[in-house]
Amino acid sequence: MNAHESTRSDGTIDASRWGGPGVFTTAPSNPAPTMIEVEALRKEYGGFVAVTGSTFTVAAGEVFGIVGPNGAGKTTTLKMLAGLLEPTDGTATVAGLDADDPEMRRNLGFLPEESPLYEEMTARSYLSFFADLYDVPRDTARERIEESLDRLELDHRDRKIGDMSKGMTRKVAIARALVNDPDVLIFDEPASGLDPRTTNYINDFVGELAEQGKTVVFSAHNLYHVEDVCDRVAIMNEGEIVARGTLDAIRDEHGRSAYHVYTDVELEGSVRENGRYKRVVSAFDDIEDVRAAADAAGGQVLDVRTEGSSLEEIFLDLAGDGDDPLGTETEGAEP
Amino acid sequence: MGLRKLLRIARWEVATSTGTIDRKTIAVLLVAVLAAAAGAPAITSGAGQLDAGLYTVAVDDDHQFHDAIDARDSLRIVGSESRADIVVDDDRVRVTDATSGDAALSELRDAIRTYNTRNLRQEDDQTAAFPVFVDLEFVEQGGRTLGTGGDSGDGSGGGSDDGTDGGSGDGTTSDGSDSGGTTDGTGDTADGSGDSSDGGLGSGGSGNGQLPVPDVGVGGGSGAQSGTPGDISAPFPFAALVLAFLFVLPMNFVIQAYGSTIMDERRNRRGELLLVAPVTRTDVVGGKTLPYVGAIAAVTIAIAVLVGGGPLSVLAVLPIGMLFLGLTFVAAMFARSYKELTFLTVSISVFVTSFVFVPAIFTDVTPIALISPLTLVVIDLKGGAVDAGGVLFATAPSLLASTVLFGLGIGIYREEDMFTQLPVHRKALDALAAWIHRPRHVAAMTALFIPFVFVLELLAVAVLFALPLAVSLPAILVLVAVIEEVAKSLHVFAAFEHDRFERSMQTGLVLGLASGAGFFLAEKVTHAVQLVGLDQLEVGQAAFTPSSGVTPLLAVGLFLAPLVLHCVTAAIGAVGASRNARTYGTGLAIAILVHAGYNLGVILLVA
Repeated sequence: MNAHESTRSDGTIDASRWGGPGVFTTAPSNPAPTMIEVEALRKEYGGFVAVTGSTFTVAAGEVFGIVGPNGAGKTTTLKMLAGLLEPTDGTATVAGLDADDPEMRRNLGFLPEESPLYEEMTARSYLSFFADLYDVPRDTARERIEESLDRLELDHRDRKIGDMSKGMTRKVAIARALVNDPDVLIFDEPASGLDPRTTNYINDFVGELAEQGKTVVFSAHNLYHVEDVCDRVAIMNEGEIVARGTLDAIRDEHGRSAYHVYTDVELEGSVRENGRYKRVVSAFDDIEDVRAAADAAGGQVLDVRTEGSSLEEIFLDLAGDGDDPLGTETEGAEP
Repeated sequence: MGLRKLLRIARWEVATSTGTIDRKTIAVLLVAVLAAAAGAPAITSGAGQLDAGLYTVAVDDDHQFHDAIDARDSLRIVGSESRADIVVDDDRVRVTDATSGDAALSELRDAIRTYNTRNLRQEDDQTAAFPVFVDLEFVEQGGRTLGTGGDSGDGSGGGSDDGTDGGSGDGTTSDGSDSGGTTDGTGDTADGSGDSSDGGLGSGGSGNGQLPVPDVGVGGGSGAQSGTPGDISAPFPFAALVLAFLFVLPMNFVIQAYGSTIMDERRNRRGELLLVAPVTRTDVVGGKTLPYVGAIAAVTIAIAVLVGGGPLSVLAVLPIGMLFLGLTFVAAMFARSYKELTFLTVSISVFVTSFVFVPAIFTDVTPIALISPLTLVVIDLKGGAVDAGGVLFATAPSLLASTVLFGLGIGIYREEDMFTQLPVHRKALDALAAWIHRPRHVAAMTALFIPFVFVLELLAVAVLFALPLAVSLPAILVLVAVIEEVAKSLHVFAAFEHDRFERSMQTGLVLGLASGAGFFLAEKVTHAVQLVGLDQLEVGQAAFTPSSGVTPLLAVGLFLAPLVLHCVTAAIGAVGASRNARTYGTGLAIAILVHAGYNLGVILLVA
């Protein structure tokens, strides 16, 4: 079963496009094992609730995206998954181990939002150091490092990290997350602050990792990239997950359809588009009203098109649309 | 803890740290430290050479004072009166340079006295040489004798070896004789006393071969145990102290580098990825600290070799180094900027250096000096020995304190404390709560706070004792109560704030009892007076031996009463902490009042 087909959030499949007798429910014949399991995860900072009631699972080999405005709790959630933050309540398991179990980290690759690398080290020495900490045999580490850097198209591998550009530094950080060949990757805004070309490159890279069977959880602001890469998405706002599922399921559940009615005469509220007049109505019954209005004006309805909400529109609806565009981050400033 | 990971991190730390420091600078610093260490013994042993020939004296070769002046390094004989600070004529001593006249005359007087004393010590009949013997007795205001100070060991002027009077048998100065060790009693005071410009030679004394000491003013002792109390000074191991200080000096530099490297991990979240790696926080901190421990050890061994110290010196200095590093680590975890860190490390340098140096001054006076490990170094440099108990007494508190400090710092070596600007009190609570998950952890942590409690109480006494008794005594009683009650309850409050335990009165009682018991047990363990024989001193007897009015039953009660006190007051604080910060404050205040009242009651009862 292709997960990108019209699977509803309740697991039912919309078979209406197939011309069949209706909808039916089917369970995947070979469900992928659950790699990440989050149950009622909560994080409080001295009375301020950064994350509350987060519950989701991620199957092996899945790409799971977490989107939301600044301060929604995305980074906090990812850090709790990575074992960096201790949850106030709830549980999180990664690859069958508690998130705070040091052994869990052996099978985890984490990429923070910033790239906090040691600038005085070269890319090779930095990656070798971490490979050693992950108990990767030296020869394997050398081979893996070169392979990762080749894939990431990183040159100047013996240059000090402090002398590298932001994009190059980000690639080193990604390589570090892969040095132990983990099954689970957690990326916090992997393309943050990068130019479009590098961003696309990284997104393609994430897709490649998924094709290799790795489980990837990442957060993003850029919804285009989420739509492009993710199997499933969670939308967060003010510490809560407000929507979760495949993109189609979220559209079905939270999106709003609109009908674009094209006429050959101008009506009240219509706009001119390509030699025709378009009026947008939200209800099916309103199309009849437009038709009647066109008749009265001596014209007729030329075309009707159905448009669904984009993910961005759904995101803005669910996450609010601008009272506090910068949000409130729970992580404090650095020393 | 993974040793391999720890060593790997240590190797990385060495590589990155040395990479950021100019090698030439390191070499220069190292050479400077070692040169200082190599030169120090020569300097300290020849300290008198620093003032060689400081004052010039015009005196004839055949004058009676010539030999005495010639034997003094600080006095230089010149031929011309015009180049002399003082001129010694047949029967007068005259100052030519008013600016240095007083000092020169004092030096001359001391030189002659010393010369006389040296000659008298060579006499066969010491009783005749020193007819006056003085026993020094330290008497507290109020008449209670604290101890008897011995003489300087040679019976010269001060105490005799057996502390008895000799000579005339009445302890009085024999008139006319001007011994080097007596207060003035002689001489011609008519033109000497109070006149700083010149002085007479002083009459008398010439008949018995002793040089009359010029009367240049206030009488004073020769440096032996005689004269006015102002002249008497405790034995001061100057040379050994200076050399011992050399061991402490490099640590002030090491902690600057160490603090910076810890702070670097917090800068721009650089240490975040280490926290995600499969290494424990102890591995990371241990690995980052090990190179600095190694540096301190290496420099300490090198200095010990150069100044003639032995294994005891090295053994004593390492705990000091660990204390420096432990305090610096905590400072680096709490500081919110490099500026703050610099302020803290400088404060640490001053505090720890003073704390280890000042007691060592009294190495030859009292075994209490062993509260400082540096005392062991002084003893070692003087060729002395210390038993195992003394070594343990001197080094264990520093090691224990540093262990606690590292433990507290490791507790907050995590994402939400390292990379945020949390208020200091929040971080402190995080640090305290990090290791508490069971009631026994509460008891253990209370016990581990004992060294810090004692240091703070010592500081409180040192600060307040100079005040009038009516003020200082109650202030000390209250301050001691505050310190101890906070030490018993703050980590309990922290544990409740972090939801380690259920918030209930019953839980509060259990934790309070655990804390009180832990404090009591640790307090008793630290009464290690037997280890250093403190009970042999009258000070120790006064402190630790019940007064004659105490019955056995009362003694048992006095021994166990603190257990009841600590458990009750700790429980009061813990029950308050189980609810919220405000009730904790109230509970703490009540506990302090109860404790202070108890202290006062004990004093009234036993006094």
